[in-house]
Amino acid sequence: MGLKQERWVGLFSLLPAFLLLAVFVGYPMFNTFFHSFTEWDGVTSTFVGWDNFKTILSNGDLPLMLRNNLIFLLSVPGILFISLTVSVLLHEEVPGWRLFRSVYYLPAILSSVVIGFLAKSMFTNKGIVNTLLENAGLGAFTTDWLNTVPTEFMILILCFYWQTLGQGTLIFLSGLSSISNELFDAAKIDGANWRQRLMYIVIPSLYPAIFYFTIVNVIYVFVGLFGLVYSITGGGPGYETTPIDYMIYIQAFRSGNMGYASALSVFLFFIVMFITWIQLKISKRLEQ
Amino acid sequence: MKTASRRMVRFLIFIVLAVIAFMAMYPLFYMAISSMKPTIEYIKHPMGLPKTWYFDNFIALIYRFSLVRLFGNTLVYVGLSLVASLALSIPAAYAFAKLKFKYRNGFYIIMIATMTIPGITFIIPNYLLMSKIGWTDHIISVVTIWSVSAIPSTVFLLTSLMRAMPDEVLEAIKIDGAKYHQAMFKVILPMSLPGVVTVSIFNATNWWNDLLTPLIYLQSDGLKTVTVAVATVLNRFSSDYPLLLSGLLLASLPPIAIYIIFQSYIRKGLVIGAVK
Repeated sequence: MGLKQERWVGLFSLLPAFLLLAVFVGYPMFNTFFHSFTEWDGVTSTFVGWDNFKTILSNGDLPLMLRNNLIFLLSVPGILFISLTVSVLLHEEVPGWRLFRSVYYLPAILSSVVIGFLAKSMFTNKGIVNTLLENAGLGAFTTDWLNTVPTEFMILILCFYWQTLGQGTLIFLSGLSSISNELFDAAKIDGANWRQRLMYIVIPSLYPAIFYFTIVNVIYVFVGLFGLVYSITGGGPGYETTPIDYMIYIQAFRSGNMGYASALSVFLFFIVMFITWIQLKISKRLEQ
Repeated sequence: MKTASRRMVRFLIFIVLAVIAFMAMYPLFYMAISSMKPTIEYIKHPMGLPKTWYFDNFIALIYRFSLVRLFGNTLVYVGLSLVASLALSIPAAYAFAKLKFKYRNGFYIIMIATMTIPGITFIIPNYLLMSKIGWTDHIISVVTIWSVSAIPSTVFLLTSLMRAMPDEVLEAIKIDGAKYHQAMFKVILPMSLPGVVTVSIFNATNWWNDLLTPLIYLQSDGLKTVTVAVATVLNRFSSDYPLLLSGLLLASLPPIAIYIIFQSYIRKGLVIGAVK
């Protein structure tokens, strides 16, 4: 293949993928942007300008949804800390660590639907959690977990943690194993104790992995909660546990407010783009 | 003295890790055990082992909910999506990794940027498009959306892996004057097989577990996937928890089997994402 030929082969290799992405991602995305300014039931659309956005901002839905997303967002540092701790412990390579590593990832391979319904069955009124509490003499702590707001969030976050622990552990473990032994030995000779080695060698060398894990999961709490919310709370009571992505589904496919849902999608798009922008900024700084 | 305390610390670490492993696994045990209980026994003793091992829940699933067809559907959709997404992504990834052409980096950046677009921003117009051309409630809608939306991440992963392919071999086939399809099928594809396996595992388990796409595009029960059927059909019987849990168990078996067989590939894929 000559260079000229290589150029055409290269471009033609990209063509089908880009063509399909343009048809099924690019065009529909612009379509969503356009229809966010319309009232749209899927058949007829009338231009309403900024009305959808005004409604979203004024009817109280947005603060509520953002609050819900924020609750999940605030739960990300928790799973980051747990995964980090577990991977540092796994890195000590105590007997059975390979098995533990595999076991931790197992829930991550399951569907959110499976995890959600499984949790739901465990937290029902006469479910295993309440039974366990009663048997342990803690009958006072049994509650109707699935029908009150703070406990519903607790269960959703528990499921999110259960799903994510394995992913974090595997990512951090691979980061840990890339730390050179020489660096470690040098620190030991210099008299650094375990805690100092952790703070000055281990954690800094994990920055890229920590950063990647955080970004992936921050984006996840904005676009990935659909399955868990659908199976555990259905967004209720009212919209108390409805994050933005679930609200888009409700508005578009249950209530038929396609224009309103489009406007919400535009909001979500800009939130995710903003996070990605921050990601690029920080990763540039990390490279320096 | 020092080794004794060190041994003690290691033992404590072992205990902590074992407790976490138990917590990670217990719901799965619970799911497996409860699915073998009759409903009455489950209500009376949600915790204990089943008194008699009872498989009627699975039999009910197979006959009343035509489980075989649900599995068949899901397998066909996932299989077709795999073929389609790989056919579209492998040439593109190869071009990004090894071919030199103008604007290559520009195209690559556009491709990677597409990865971050939330799926929900294009689902409404796509749904309407599909219903206009009569593709809703038809497998082609799900296969199209699955395979196309997986292209960016698939290309990203394959490009990262293909960059490690030795240039010498590729130079040699160029000099031998091999045609593109010969080079593709005899050299490039075999050499990138581990990457193809990694990315296929990720995509297949994601699709198997996906709720939103098949939920929206497929309406009739006969076309549903296992995951959607568990979430919708079985949920109508949600007071019958052992039945629901048996459905969940069966829906989880394929991904678990894939994971047990291909663990090392999954680890590799996660790490490629993490180090960039």
